[in-house]
Amino acid sequence: MIALMDFLTVFTQPELLLLVGLGTFAGIYVGAIPGLSVTMAVSILISFTFSWDVYPAISLMIGIYMGGVYGGSRTAILLNIPGAPSAIATALDGYPMAKRGEAGTAIGVTTVMSFIGGFVGIGVLALAAPLVSEFALKFQPRDYMLLAILGILLVGSLSQGSLVKGIFAGALGIAIGAVGRDPLTFAERFTFDFQLLEGGISFIAVMIGMFGVSEALLQLHHVDKDAVRQKITRIVPSLATVKKHLPLSLQTSTIGVTIGALPGTGGDIAALMAYDHAKRVTKNPERPFGDGAMEGLVAPETANNSAVGGAFIPMMTLGIPGDAVTAIMIGALFIHGLNPGPMLMIDQPDMFWFIVGCLVMANIFMLIFGLTGIKLFTRIVEMPRSVLIPLIMLLSIVGAYAVNNSVTDVYWMLGFGVFGYFMRHYGYPLGPVILGVILSRLLDDNWRRAIISEREDLGRFFEGIVTSPLSLVLFVSVILIFVSQTPLWSKAKARIFKDGKAKS
Amino acid sequence: MEHIDPEHHDGTSDATPGGEVDKRRPGELFFSAFLLIASLFLLSSAFGIENPFGPNGFSSPRSIPLATTAVMVFSSALVLFKTARLPLDRAETIAKDILPPVVLVFAMFLVLYGVVLRPLGFLPTSALFLIAAIKILAKRNWVWTLTVSLGSLIAIWLIFRIVFSVLMPAGIVPEAEFIQFFRDLSNGGAEQ
Repeated sequence: MIALMDFLTVFTQPELLLLVGLGTFAGIYVGAIPGLSVTMAVSILISFTFSWDVYPAISLMIGIYMGGVYGGSRTAILLNIPGAPSAIATALDGYPMAKRGEAGTAIGVTTVMSFIGGFVGIGVLALAAPLVSEFALKFQPRDYMLLAILGILLVGSLSQGSLVKGIFAGALGIAIGAVGRDPLTFAERFTFDFQLLEGGISFIAVMIGMFGVSEALLQLHHVDKDAVRQKITRIVPSLATVKKHLPLSLQTSTIGVTIGALPGTGGDIAALMAYDHAKRVTKNPERPFGDGAMEGLVAPETANNSAVGGAFIPMMTLGIPGDAVTAIMIGALFIHGLNPGPMLMIDQPDMFWFIVGCLVMANIFMLIFGLTGIKLFTRIVEMPRSVLIPLIMLLSIVGAYAVNNSVTDVYWMLGFGVFGYFMRHYGYPLGPVILGVILSRLLDDNWRRAIISEREDLGRFFEGIVTSPLSLVLFVSVILIFVSQTPLWSKAKARIFKDGKAKS
Repeated sequence: MEHIDPEHHDGTSDATPGGEVDKRRPGELFFSAFLLIASLFLLSSAFGIENPFGPNGFSSPRSIPLATTAVMVFSSALVLFKTARLPLDRAETIAKDILPPVVLVFAMFLVLYGVVLRPLGFLPTSALFLIAAIKILAKRNWVWTLTVSLGSLIAIWLIFRIVFSVLMPAGIVPEAEFIQFFRDLSNGGAEQ
């Protein structure tokens, strides 16, 4: 009953309701405008909202997150430019539909499907998180350590690009997180005797640099690209269309929420996997995939929105982010004095139910804003990049400065911005860096706790891993990620498949 | 899962760019070498972390930094090795695809911004930055440039100063007095 009251908090306070609505509205545009990403928006926003109370700050960020994941589909359909990584798969069939003049239908179906997917994700979050957190109380420090490593590795291996670069990025993040005085022994780490570095590097500066400035610098390459106008007619889809695709949308929602719940993997990967799944299970699409198949739109869009709810599961129950945005949200909760993890669910269940309430509300707002305001939308998206890029840069600077009122943070932000720019160019994923920075402390603490409880004996430590089923599963998963990237694995796979073919 | 590379060149850089899979981008070898050297430097620095309260065992403050920097050295060496074996992408050049002049100019702008932010203050610095940046990028006439840049600066200032109460360095503009003046004005109006 108390849970219900907490859940309803957001509905009863007009101010919070307004913030969720505002966030969702802004999120749709942020997601839709290429060059503005949800990660960027949320990381800049943290620095502005940190003096607020925690409820309004969270309301705004959740709105942006939910709206942004959906908003990316708009430009994917209209311009063949995914506004966000989670909309890459949407462009494959959405744009062909728009070219045929069915942009309205495509947007309508996308909106309704995102809504359905969003609710599946939230439902699973509400049901699963309390169970997981109860289970998580049994976790040993070594399990947390393994989970953190798994999260960083997953984000590196499943995102497109090479695992080695992902591993490098994750390790770099952990190292950045370790800069400063060690909280347990007060030993200086990576400070090079600079007093400046003793307090560590502000993770907000790292985040804004990597996702704000580096993105803006990269967008300078595309300044001259013009926006394309599209005529949009009717967008509310017919009930028959929705009904027809409901079974597929439920399947892909399940994929989405599962992928979202894995530490480190979010909507972008969920969408691609769901698209793959849709291709396999749809026997006779009205149009072939890649040529404007409705199924190719339904699958990624349900999956990426259900991944939002999924991503909150490890974040709320274990303190391990489900993707880059939730990593930043964990940072936000830290700033507001909350410590996400199993104890949060027990000490402050109101926080959890409040977040679930916000997600529900954001999902409803998304449907409303998604099906209306198309005219306004096309006008805002046409905002020229020549104005947008300087504004992003300015906001990044203000954001980095605002947290500690320090110009040093601005320099860190610029430094990481330039570094991130090169990392993007040379194919290093940035997600693992942020995950590493956020998880550095957790990893360090839990490793030391684990090894101290085994009296500094590595043998006993591994014995502990092998004898506990949970640790063993996590450990094997970590090993599997490595093995799956070596030539050995592809050889073995080739051999197995060859055998299979020979037998059939 | 098929590999989708939207980088060439439609503007979706969010989606992990990185050029062609089987080719080396210009400057990539240098960047990999730089990462390896930096990692080695960090590794040696991690060796220097001393535990003030006891031996530098597995539970000391040195262990995780040592492990992560070792991973960095190993992975960056592997990347360098792999990169060195790839053929150079002849279709790309540093000046066109990696570091075009406009990016250099903007990076410089940002550094300058950081330098003059404190002495000059937020409003004048940002105004200069926005006017210069928008003029260079949009190549439109001065009236348009000034309207857009100053208009958006005022909007940003109002939102962040008043809604988010972010205090930026005031510098030469008497911001606080300015706001107080308007407050007094509206309060005076309310009292009457």
